[in-house]
Amino acid sequence: MSERIGVLICECGPNIKDAIDINKIVNFVESLENVVMVKPFGLLCSDKGKELIRKDIKKYNLTRVVIAGCSPKEHETTFKKVLEDAGLNPFLMQIANIREQCAWVIKDKTSATQKAKVMIAAAVKRVVSQEPLRIKEIKCHPDVLVVGAGVAGISASLTLAHKKRKIYLVERLPCIGGKVALYEEVFSNLECASCMLDPILDEVLHHDHIELLSLSEIQEVLGFYGNFIVRVKKKARFVDIKSCIGCGACFEVCPVKVKNEYNEGLDERKAIYIPYPGALPNVAVIDKEHCLHLQGKVCNACQKACPFGSVNYEETDQVQELKVGAIVLATGFDIFDPRKSKQYGYGKIGNVYTSLEFERLLNSTGPTGGKILLKNGQPPKKIALVHCVGSRTRKYNEYCSGICCIYLLKFAHLIRQKLPDVSIVEFYSDFCLPGKEAQKFFNKFAEEKGIKFLRMKNPDSINIREEKGKILTRYTDVNGKSKNITSDMVVLASAIEEARNAQDVAKVFDISQGRDGFFIEEHTKLAPVSTTTKGIFIAGCAQGPKDIQGSVAQGQAAAGMILSQLIPGEKLTLEPMTAVVNEDLCSGCKICIGLCPYKAITYDDKEKHAIINEVLCTGCGICASACPSGVIKAKHFTDKQIYAEIEGVVNE
Amino acid sequence: MSDFEPKIIGFLCNWCSYEGADSAGRAGKVYPANLKVIRVMCSGRIDPQFVIKAFREGADGVMILGCHPGECHYKEGNYQALRKYILLKKMLTQFGIEEERIRLHWVSASECDQFVKVVSEMVKDMRQLGPLMKVNVGRFMKVARVRR
Repeated sequence: MSERIGVLICECGPNIKDAIDINKIVNFVESLENVVMVKPFGLLCSDKGKELIRKDIKKYNLTRVVIAGCSPKEHETTFKKVLEDAGLNPFLMQIANIREQCAWVIKDKTSATQKAKVMIAAAVKRVVSQEPLRIKEIKCHPDVLVVGAGVAGISASLTLAHKKRKIYLVERLPCIGGKVALYEEVFSNLECASCMLDPILDEVLHHDHIELLSLSEIQEVLGFYGNFIVRVKKKARFVDIKSCIGCGACFEVCPVKVKNEYNEGLDERKAIYIPYPGALPNVAVIDKEHCLHLQGKVCNACQKACPFGSVNYEETDQVQELKVGAIVLATGFDIFDPRKSKQYGYGKIGNVYTSLEFERLLNSTGPTGGKILLKNGQPPKKIALVHCVGSRTRKYNEYCSGICCIYLLKFAHLIRQKLPDVSIVEFYSDFCLPGKEAQKFFNKFAEEKGIKFLRMKNPDSINIREEKGKILTRYTDVNGKSKNITSDMVVLASAIEEARNAQDVAKVFDISQGRDGFFIEEHTKLAPVSTTTKGIFIAGCAQGPKDIQGSVAQGQAAAGMILSQLIPGEKLTLEPMTAVVNEDLCSGCKICIGLCPYKAITYDDKEKHAIINEVLCTGCGICASACPSGVIKAKHFTDKQIYAEIEGVVNE
Repeated sequence: MSDFEPKIIGFLCNWCSYEGADSAGRAGKVYPANLKVIRVMCSGRIDPQFVIKAFREGADGVMILGCHPGECHYKEGNYQALRKYILLKKMLTQFGIEEERIRLHWVSASECDQFVKVVSEMVKDMRQLGPLMKVNVGRFMKVARVRR
């Protein structure tokens, strides 16, 4: 059966009419094969124009439509809708872009008319081989998995839970709140971190729609957007979370002491412990590796001491399977280890601290109860603060962490408050103070007495060593002169780096890391919290260095994306222009599998052929152009359709 | 052959280069009418056979335009396009097709000037180079340039 093609030519007011001889076009198009009607019209995208197309489809019993007018980028969706309303599959239309790529770029009317003829002829030729495509829908789970209970993960969880979404919040550690929970005061308004954080942590713990899985890690992720199956390993806490009230009777009697990682190793904790005073949930946890009982020795001091019978040595690790539709990864950051670069003396000189260690020293729940003390128990007289440690250098991290300048100023201010007589030197090479708060903060505190700024030539023009019981810092100033400064304490603003386990996380979730180790967003500007794996979102420092407000914003953004795309009771609409494998002809060479940027192609071992997952496929067509047997069809951009178009444009 | 007008086919990716071509129109730029554009979703979709087909049908030059490296809408389709292009160019030269007849350029959605520049250059060069002619030799189709 031959097709019945209708060609509608839009004059676009004077836009096309003045540049192209419409009558000549009509005469030419009438002579083309399969064309049963040609009609020029003033403005096809107007209501009248759309009505005309609808009527003509029915009147002439059209099976295909060609629209000659503006760019498909402008009105393809509009006209697709018109076809649909007229009962014709929207993929049976082709647009000839005779405005942007013809009328507007050719001054000579004869040439423009000639080019428009060719473009329409090609569209007529192509549209014959176009196939109707059906928009498929699949069922989906509206529940969401959030990995990481720092500010970003919590913001995502709460935003989703407020809309009554079921959230599984998975946290590797026994407590929630992430790094922010370890700080005392945060910039830019020197707000008390726990006053800000505790209410939302509390909300997370008591929310009906949030299920917290602490001490848990993701083992495996199967499936795809809308239908993920996630296996979570929940490690034993050995303390009953419901009956423990965090009274501390257990850790008072525990005989084992180990370095306290929550105070950056600056003091010790017991084998049964609460990470830090105020940690939520306020429940003890046993460190399996160090607990005498769990290592087979005779000790049950904590069990005897517990007034609530909460200690249970028999508890085992559990594996739980979750079904979710979307995933938010907010796995946070770690800092650059200054041991990697000898110039900082870190690890060798006792009173050289990283910024995270210093945050704990400042914190009233920290190892010194908030007192700034040297290792010998004396208060320091002079403190050096060093900017850009491990950042803005090609050797380690080329990027700027973006928050160090401002938190070092915060440190300087807090030090002056606690020890008014101490003198402070800041070694910097540039100040990074973006946004509406940072500069104000700088202006307010940089002028405080006793703070001196020394500018280095480069971010790493510094060398720290110990001499006669003092710390000697040698730096190169902007004029290239070498200078020495002594102090008795040094704080290093270490770069924000990807979390130590970022590679494992990327592997489990099958997402990509950039060269710097952070997870890559789908688009730096337009899709900053999406990844190229549909349904997996990223938020907070897992995506790149940022401050608290930035992390919260991303968490909420990820939640917003999910709320707008994954709606309970609604089915997921799939991209109709996907690629499909002719399974009978596929030789199973697997070339396409490695080429797919979305990991949408798998190999069926039993049937020995490739399969394309329609949910994950975005229709780029890379596989179709690479298949040596030519058996992958990129729907709506098939070889046949493109060949027809080539023939059309060449054979004028 | 001063009045020779070459037929140029351009395969443009939907996201950057096709948009770049549209923006040339919106900005009122002028370029030769010789270029006929075929839209594909990604430059990675451009099968070398499309280019060969274009030459067989009578195109005098073929352009492949895609997003800049690192800016592909589909992450890495433009890199795939580049790899195929390099090999294809080698192959076409062995067939006797001059390498200037096949070109790849990166054109972003905002680079209408770049678009106009590469298209104009192509048309100018092809006008100088002359038409690509098909000559049937026995059972094989030999493609060669007709010397004036």
